[in-house]
Amino acid sequence: MWDNRCKIAVSGVGYSKVSRSADIPLAAHALEAVKGAIADSGLKLEDIDGLATYPELPATGHAEVDGISVVSVNCMMAMMNLPNLTWHIQVGSSNIGGAFQQAANALLAGVCKYAVVWRAMHNPKGTYQNLPGNMATGAGQFTGPYGFGGPGQGHAVAYARWLEKNGQTRDKMATLVLNQRKNTQHNPHAYFYGTELTREDYFASRMVAYPFCLFDCDIPVQGAVAVVLTTADRARDLAPTPAYLAGYGQRLHFETAGRIGSLSNYMEGGSSSAKLTWERSGFSPKDVDVAQIYDGFAASVIYGLESYGFCKEGEALDFIQDGRIELDGELPLNTFGGSLGTGRIHGLWHIIEGALQASGRAGTRQVKDANVSFVGASAPIVTGTTFIFVRDPY
Amino acid sequence: MSDWTKVTRPIPVPDEYTKPFWAAAKRRSLEMQRCQTCGHFQHPPYATCTQCIGVDLKFEPVRGQGKIYAYTIMYHTGDKRFAAAVPYASIVVELDDAPGAFMAGNLLGADYTEAKLGRRVEVVFEDLTDDITLPQFKLAGE
Ligand SMILES: [Zn+2]
Repeated sequence: MWDNRCKIAVSGVGYSKVSRSADIPLAAHALEAVKGAIADSGLKLEDIDGLATYPELPATGHAEVDGISVVSVNCMMAMMNLPNLTWHIQVGSSNIGGAFQQAANALLAGVCKYAVVWRAMHNPKGTYQNLPGNMATGAGQFTGPYGFGGPGQGHAVAYARWLEKNGQTRDKMATLVLNQRKNTQHNPHAYFYGTELTREDYFASRMVAYPFCLFDCDIPVQGAVAVVLTTADRARDLAPTPAYLAGYGQRLHFETAGRIGSLSNYMEGGSSSAKLTWERSGFSPKDVDVAQIYDGFAASVIYGLESYGFCKEGEALDFIQDGRIELDGELPLNTFGGSLGTGRIHGLWHIIEGALQASGRAGTRQVKDANVSFVGASAPIVTGTTFIFVRDPY
Repeated sequence: MSDWTKVTRPIPVPDEYTKPFWAAAKRRSLEMQRCQTCGHFQHPPYATCTQCIGVDLKFEPVRGQGKIYAYTIMYHTGDKRFAAAVPYASIVVELDDAPGAFMAGNLLGADYTEAKLGRRVEVVFEDLTDDITLPQFKLAGE
């Protein structure tokens, strides 16, 4: 087990308004979320001495403009003028989960006391995923000419392979998508709060990139979420019940850029990250009371469930049936609605929900007696990170 | 069948790793990067062998037969240049001679519904410009 098991905790969480269009600069969303997380902790701005984020715009073919389409650490420093800042970082190889892990590491190293981690996501005007211009360069020279656009098609080929290889059909995915939309109705911060989705809607929806229909893909939004991390002893003195970090992991597998359709890229990414997390935390999949698994594309949940060890390979679409993943089921899943319900804010919202469930702060969607709370914060391919939060720090 | 006649494809730009691939395609030949130490084929080309960290890599001719490893059917018309061909099949092919080296392509000359795992395909070449010829795929034996 990890020497630092349960020595770090999530305290406050914060959200901005989530909207479809970018009517105010993204920096304002990020600031709203960060201030919300600090206030939720009962801290003052001057208490914050650590900053971490992953400032990336996943839309392709759009300019990255700090404060407008991304919110970097520099941008946050300029806005907040934190008088006691001692540490900051922005990460590249492992998405927002990596930023969260670096903040935990910095707290363990004693180089800051209260770190805030945020993820701000921009929805640019026009087409979200633009293919390369007239010229296709780098890894794109082998995909762009064939109309392989953004990540959606890369995920779609893997999903089609998974379905046919395992003799499964995409209609079983409706269970996941509908359950998450149902959970979304317990999350007032979510984009689709107040918007129901029926089985008929799901099956009538237009195909985007087979096997993905519209409702299998998260909707691009403008918004931000944030969390405050601190050491366990400090967290106990703050207002929110702490969610203790029992263990974490990151994917240790990467196949070369431009390699598409490879299921091993997802499965080995996920299993390598989960293995670290189980070993460090001392838990196994059967101990988990509630799980959040990244769902930017619905199929990521399949690879997550299988590669993290919740079910066998090829069985995830059967595993999610019969109420198992509902709020009162055996493994309540994406209890906040997932990205399919909140809109595309990447994995920090999964981490937030994992922490809220562990600390008993998830409101009407709270899973009864939840102690061991698992999070897979990104698609296991390329950016995967995994976490376990617990209510009881032993 | 997808109508590709109105599609304007982005033109590949060869770089230092990929020049031999495109030079071979222009001669209507398929050449894949192979590690001279362990025999591993890889695609897209890379700086080192991802199997054995060898650096002695050469391009070798391979036969253009293989099977569909994975595929998607594209319905989204976000990119207007491809809108005329929707729905179309984008496929990932594993060549018989280069296992593990996946090539992307479209399934030409067949309905998109013919894209299925394991279907036999063979390479055809599509001239994009005077300099660039694009390897593509059609069902084998047709
Ligand atoms: Zn080698």
